[in-house]
Amino acid sequence: MPLGIRSRIFPFLLVVLVGLALAFAACGDDDDDDGDETPSPTPTEGVTGTPTDAPDIGTVDVIGQGWGDAELAGFEALVQPWEDSTGGDVAFTGTREITAQLTTRVEGNNPPDVALPAEIGLFQQFAREGLLAPLSECAGLEEKITAEYPQGFIDLGTVDGTLYGFFMKADTKGTIFYDPAYFDANGLTPLTADSSFDDLIALTDEILALGLPPWSMGQFANGGTGFPGTDFIQQILLNEAGGAAYDGVIDGSVPFTDADVKDAFEKFGQIALTDGYTSQGSADVINATSFQDAVFPPFEDPPEAAMTYMGGFASGFIAEQFPGAVPATDYDFFPFPGGGVTGGANIAYAFNSDPTTCSFLEHLASAEAQQIWVDLGGFTSVNSGVDLSAYPDVIARAQAEQLTLAETFRFDLDDAIGGDLQSTFFVGVTEYLANPGDLDSILADIEAVR
Amino acid sequence: MIGRAWWIPWLWLAPTLALLGVFLVYPSVDTIRRSFLDARSQEFVGLDNYEFIVDNPTPLAADTHAALLNNMLWLTVFTAVCVGLGLVMAVMTARVRYEAAAKAAIFVPMAISFVAVSVIWRFMYEIDADVGTVNAIFSELGKDPVAWLINTDAPQKPFVDVPPNDAPAPFQVNNFALIAVGVWNWTGFTLVILSAGLKSIPDDVMEAARVDGAGEWQIFRRITLPMMSPTIVVVTTTLVIQTLKTFDLVWVMTGGRFKTDVVATLFFKEAFLFRDFGVGAALAVVLMLFVVPIMLISIRRFQMQEEIR
Repeated sequence: MPLGIRSRIFPFLLVVLVGLALAFAACGDDDDDDGDETPSPTPTEGVTGTPTDAPDIGTVDVIGQGWGDAELAGFEALVQPWEDSTGGDVAFTGTREITAQLTTRVEGNNPPDVALPAEIGLFQQFAREGLLAPLSECAGLEEKITAEYPQGFIDLGTVDGTLYGFFMKADTKGTIFYDPAYFDANGLTPLTADSSFDDLIALTDEILALGLPPWSMGQFANGGTGFPGTDFIQQILLNEAGGAAYDGVIDGSVPFTDADVKDAFEKFGQIALTDGYTSQGSADVINATSFQDAVFPPFEDPPEAAMTYMGGFASGFIAEQFPGAVPATDYDFFPFPGGGVTGGANIAYAFNSDPTTCSFLEHLASAEAQQIWVDLGGFTSVNSGVDLSAYPDVIARAQAEQLTLAETFRFDLDDAIGGDLQSTFFVGVTEYLANPGDLDSILADIEAVR
Repeated sequence: MIGRAWWIPWLWLAPTLALLGVFLVYPSVDTIRRSFLDARSQEFVGLDNYEFIVDNPTPLAADTHAALLNNMLWLTVFTAVCVGLGLVMAVMTARVRYEAAAKAAIFVPMAISFVAVSVIWRFMYEIDADVGTVNAIFSELGKDPVAWLINTDAPQKPFVDVPPNDAPAPFQVNNFALIAVGVWNWTGFTLVILSAGLKSIPDDVMEAARVDGAGEWQIFRRITLPMMSPTIVVVTTTLVIQTLKTFDLVWVMTGGRFKTDVVATLFFKEAFLFRDFGVGAALAVVLMLFVVPIMLISIRRFQMQEEIR
């Protein structure tokens, strides 16, 4: 061969080989549909266990919310016994964009084994499309759930008569946080579950007369801006209009333009927009203040506000921001007036019923496992096998009590709806704060998306 | 030239073409296909998705008109300001001894990831004057703090309280606040490239002009700008394409809320949050159509330059 061509062939072959290798790597994942052997995606926080030696149990691929350090530590502690006893491995991917992740992976025929999101709209869609494995396909799991979980949560995990998911890590949204020291010093009485919304306004006016802004409120949460407002409105709706109306809004029989919904918005507006009621002052500032920052003013020294409405997870923020704050002495909560409690929870559901997945789910659902996280704090279990005394502090216990013993409990409204309707509801709340006069057209716009 | 078989160049190109085919051509064709199908990509629905974009039936959920107008605003204002500022700074830094240091300082933001930039500026724009730098400056000047990422008033309102309160759609305080962040990020790029273009102007031309008595401004207008026009076109084209892809900046700072949506954030929402792949694909196709004329101009210029050689 002439020298010229020979010196050209080798690099040419190298390039072709590299190109082919890259092309095969790109196409490789599509052929992989065996759940156990799916290579774990690069986890944002990896959870590794002992290498597998039992042939049955491999790696379970879990996608969850974008949990912070404390929550991840709790989750790792919860799964450790399973990893130790079965030799399995949990590959956990936490992401804030969990809906986008799930949608993309399902679209790409590469679903995870287990998903742990907080909203159930997508879960219901997946179940109806036949993408999920019914819990009955795992031996004994459905019976266990039915025996240990409250009926309300079983119903929520059931789609068209089949049980597909169970709930863990619940959180109450019927909590109004305040500083007991300030209340005591000024002769104020926190409300009880039997109080009414008018009592709340009366308390607000009492505090206003003392010269302190009664409320601290913040809506900003990036794409989820408006969720504290929707939480507030759904609490009012449940307590003023009742469970049937609440359920009606979720299933569509009660439109957003209904008088009960409008009334709930207006009562929320009364708290948020009346002159002097909030330490933020104006709708613009409320919309711009992050929901975390809005929790702190009542506990500053001197206090900048008296009360703040936020879900139970706020006690974690307060404890972190004010180290040394003693639960029930320096911060506490009273129940949202009316006794009706809304709450959210993470739902666990599976895309397959492989032995690894089933084994993991059984462990996740068990009271023993959930008790581990309960002990570490920041986790409320709805499994009836978890004793109230297991909760680490009096506030955690009170929140668990409120969730499990509430007369009327409903799942978070926007999480129950999901999808573009949930997103529109958030937008509608911030729009209403900015333009309260446009309430009718805003409600009509929200309903139009359904 | 040694006699080459005609197919050898193609063989060298084959791996690249394969990669382009898999990662560029196939997704583009598939996206166009999906834009004519329904939300779950099962049934053919004709132009329904495009009608959705035109009609904008659910402005609270997905405001297509706002997204398109915002993209136009980004296209014009962002590009113009970046190129303009880059040009001015290129000319100014050429005259100082610490030129390299100045250019490096202005270029540094390009080295930070867009997400990091967005997080930094989120803090800068905080409503609380103790945290937000911009509002701290405002309160020093005796003005009220402004919710930069939320406010949809006319853009002059925070600075000068003159009517009108509400300018037409894309001219909002928060849009301009986001564009300001983009400019902060990208001006280093335009500066560096335009500076190189500036240096390629032969010195004797400038000297001759000065000897002939031309003022600085005249030199800039009649000599510098025309001789730099190829560079300016390249920079502008790159920026225009970059603008159309703007996603992370808007997504991390506002999530597309408060009417700051651009087409990229909107189709992300539609496709991956609302699971409506039909509308998402249609929006992506619209974005592709915006880029086509730019690409054609770019290719035409490239061909013209090749001919000159």
